Amino acid sequence: MNAPIDRAAALAGIGQPRLRKEDARFVQGKGRYVDDIKLPGMVHMDIVRSPLAHARIKRIDKSAALAVPGVIAVLTAEDLKPLKLHWMPTLAGDVQAVLADGKVHFQMQEVAVVIAEDRYSAADGVEAVAVEYEELPVLVDALKALEPDAPVLREDLAGKTEGAHGRRLHPNHIFTWEAGDQAAADAAFEAAPVRVEEALFYPRVHPCPLETCGCVAAFDPVRGELTTYMTSQAPHVVRTVVSMLSGLPESKVRIVSPDIGGGFGNKVGVYPGYVCAIVASIVLGRPVKWIEDRIENLSSTAFARDYHMKGELAATADGRITGLRVHVVADHGAFDAMASPSKYPAGLFHVCSGAYDIPAAYARVDGVYTNKAPGGVAYRCSFRVTEAVYLIERLIDVLAQKLNIDKAEIRMRNFIRKEQFPYRSAFGLEYDSGDYAAALRKVLDAVVYPALRAEQAAKRADPASPSLMGIGLTTFTEVVGAGPTTSCDILGVGMFDSCEIRVHPTGSAIARMGTISQGQGHQTTYAQIVATELGIPSEEVQVEEGDTSTAPYGLGTYGSRSTPVGGAAVAMAARKIHAKAKKIAAHLLEVSEADLEWELDRFKVRGDPGRSKTMKDIAWAAYHEPPPGLEPGLEAVHYYDPPNFTFPFGAYLCVVDITKATGEVQVRRFYALDDCGTRINPMIIEGQIHGGLTEGFAVAMGQKLDFDAQGNILGNTLLDYFLPTAVETPRWETDYTVTPSPHHPLGAKGVAESPHVGSIPCFSSAVADAFAHLGVTHLEMPHTAYRVWQTCRELKLAA
Amino acid sequence: MEVRLERRYPIPVDADRAWAVLRDVPAVAACLPGAALTEQIDPAHYKGTVTLKVGPTTALFNGDLEVVGLDAAARRIQLKGRGADKAGSAAAMALTAVIEPAEGPDACVLHGDATVTVSGKFAQFGGRMLGQVSDMVLAQFVDHFRAAAAVLPSAGAAAPPPAPALNALALLWALVKGWLAGLFGRRA
Repeated sequence: MNAPIDRAAALAGIGQPRLRKEDARFVQGKGRYVDDIKLPGMVHMDIVRSPLAHARIKRIDKSAALAVPGVIAVLTAEDLKPLKLHWMPTLAGDVQAVLADGKVHFQMQEVAVVIAEDRYSAADGVEAVAVEYEELPVLVDALKALEPDAPVLREDLAGKTEGAHGRRLHPNHIFTWEAGDQAAADAAFEAAPVRVEEALFYPRVHPCPLETCGCVAAFDPVRGELTTYMTSQAPHVVRTVVSMLSGLPESKVRIVSPDIGGGFGNKVGVYPGYVCAIVASIVLGRPVKWIEDRIENLSSTAFARDYHMKGELAATADGRITGLRVHVVADHGAFDAMASPSKYPAGLFHVCSGAYDIPAAYARVDGVYTNKAPGGVAYRCSFRVTEAVYLIERLIDVLAQKLNIDKAEIRMRNFIRKEQFPYRSAFGLEYDSGDYAAALRKVLDAVVYPALRAEQAAKRADPASPSLMGIGLTTFTEVVGAGPTTSCDILGVGMFDSCEIRVHPTGSAIARMGTISQGQGHQTTYAQIVATELGIPSEEVQVEEGDTSTAPYGLGTYGSRSTPVGGAAVAMAARKIHAKAKKIAAHLLEVSEADLEWELDRFKVRGDPGRSKTMKDIAWAAYHEPPPGLEPGLEAVHYYDPPNFTFPFGAYLCVVDITKATGEVQVRRFYALDDCGTRINPMIIEGQIHGGLTEGFAVAMGQKLDFDAQGNILGNTLLDYFLPTAVETPRWETDYTVTPSPHHPLGAKGVAESPHVGSIPCFSSAVADAFAHLGVTHLEMPHTAYRVWQTCRELKLAA
Repeated sequence: MEVRLERRYPIPVDADRAWAVLRDVPAVAACLPGAALTEQIDPAHYKGTVTLKVGPTTALFNGDLEVVGLDAAARRIQLKGRGADKAGSAAAMALTAVIEPAEGPDACVLHGDATVTVSGKFAQFGGRMLGQVSDMVLAQFVDHFRAAAAVLPSAGAAAPPPAPALNALALLWALVKGWLAGLFGRRA
């Protein structure tokens, strides 16, 4: 047990495929989610929602609802007005109606809430609230939002020509955001011998976590304290917002995120239901529970994407890209509730030059209002990175097709080369590290790419073949780990993150974090970082998150920021403890610090291997006999402000077989190579990649929130909204390279979102590739059998 | 959700007799399963209800019906209806119905052209079945219409017995039958 190899195994530190600590409780049904919380005297809330997408409210009659047995109260905007809580600020600098104030702006918008003794009475009360509407013309198509005669949505903004992000050009216009150099990009296009352009619509989708949103708000009127249990990916930010809205001192507000059944961006924002439950609890002095059902979750809480993109590439005749131009119309719904760092109304969309060395680029995004639910969150991705990667990956395929250059070859010709890092893109992002060509080469070798192309050529040559074969390719880089406080903030709070570590007298430890796991396995991986940094076995390191009364302030978990920011904070806090431990060890061994060297879990005297002190010895001494002049105890806090984003990358290849007669797309093979820098727990990485690929498959193959001309949401149940199970999910093959981040203390970059970001354009690439020999350059998602069959029919491949 | 329905149904009575039923709004309403007129405001404006039973719940649409046009020479009536229920659905309909002559002494054709718009829960959950459900409702309507025209003593008014609430279970069965028939190619 004393051999270093045995001791390293006992630590189970960085690089070990340690089993997830969380799973013991999850697989036994012992997790504790918000809906498991039952408090004495607790009452229940349900929400009256608008059946119409755009209408004036003429009258709300509560009387029948109040007569329902068990109903305690019915609240409308009129009741919230005296508290100035009928509207609330959004993360994007807009305001959102908490309860509809005279007008509804989207179907399923919150109109009133009913509080009752039990859930059933609350639902009965909701049915009994009579609301009289006067219908208004509906705006569904974002591309028509800025037409002169378009219906005006936001009467509350009448006359406001300045928004949170500059000038508004139309009553339905939210912002214009530009990046890059327009003149340089235009010049590149002027000079270019080759140009391609493609219109790409990235449909509105929803993260659809298995657990819907909800909270239990418990105001204690005696102590004047508010505790709220909530499915939040950012509990500290919620605490700050609740304090600002309610006027309660932040010290008397406690937000607790218990176990969370998936977030994927859906649980970042503050929803009207939370505000109403908190108000109701303060007014009634009783705990109030509100839990969404699936339809409410899909219809009213934050959606993702809904980007109408037009992209253009300029290139030389041999396929070297010389310029990129992009224009996006971004459908933000009825209120701009996009979750993003304040200064970035289009998130980090300016990573849309991708993994390629493009000298000139310009992007413009115009956000518009429509009669749809508010949102615009990062669904398993960093802010708008999925849209950006989809754009550039689809465009480079289109260019390859036009020039008749192989899709792998054109990427090789355009990659940012390894020696160019750190690389400043035309949009001004500084990419930390990467080796894109090596990653792609490894994938091409693994799948024997030339053989696949040969098989495809043979199939294309045979008109009797009942199926088509498509090969998709993506080579992408992400930008994650928001972010440096100089450029990134949420409501003015910089996007650092934090860790507090306490080493107990007997040598075990607890780490408390500003992040919050929703299934990522933080309890497992953070403990492994502590194990490696401090020599305390990871089994003896507790990790706690989510309770704002005990955890240090942090900005939460989304945008793959936990490892890049939170993980760095763990390492830095541990290093402070390590430095103090060294002083104690020197004292105990009666040598100078310079004479000590660290080995796994102990300080050894250089040149005298028999003399050493383990971290366990040191912890005891810290509380028992600290060196003179040194304060007792062994703990540290670190707030980590990252110097830059991190840029994980990957190379994916997908092979599909499409049945001409039915349009069914079978994923024959999906090979995903990811490079997330230093790999902390390979087993968790593998699991996260499987999850991300599966969600990518869901988006590409079936997820879409559709609306009809009246603004009715079609597809807000799991009958219509595609959630793949083991039955539909293809088999995944994973691989990796390791290119550490030079600025992260551990060299780690973050991983769980790459497979989502990278796989979606790969599926589209494969489906379009199946039809490429027939002149097809792009097909819109989702690639359902029906839609693909329609393409087959148009091309006379199917009857 | 908007559905356009254009249908022709043969009616085994002469055109004048069929027109006598069609021009009589209360008689037409009585032919529609689950519908009832509750109030006549003036010769062209009515208030009424449509009841729809889906499993254990009953939705009650309250609404207005307006006679937009009535052309006796062309035997054409144009109706506009609009209604909402408390549980969060709304529906609107614009209908033009014409009695067209047909071959033979005791035969004519009821030609209907309707645009139905629904919002709210009905559109969300029932949207995909709207076309088929409408066909089933119309088939029942036409049965009642034929019966009303057949018993008409002369060109006067005589309402058929009140139609039962539109029963979704029965509808579902009709749908399944229709679907099976389509599957085996026996559908027209």
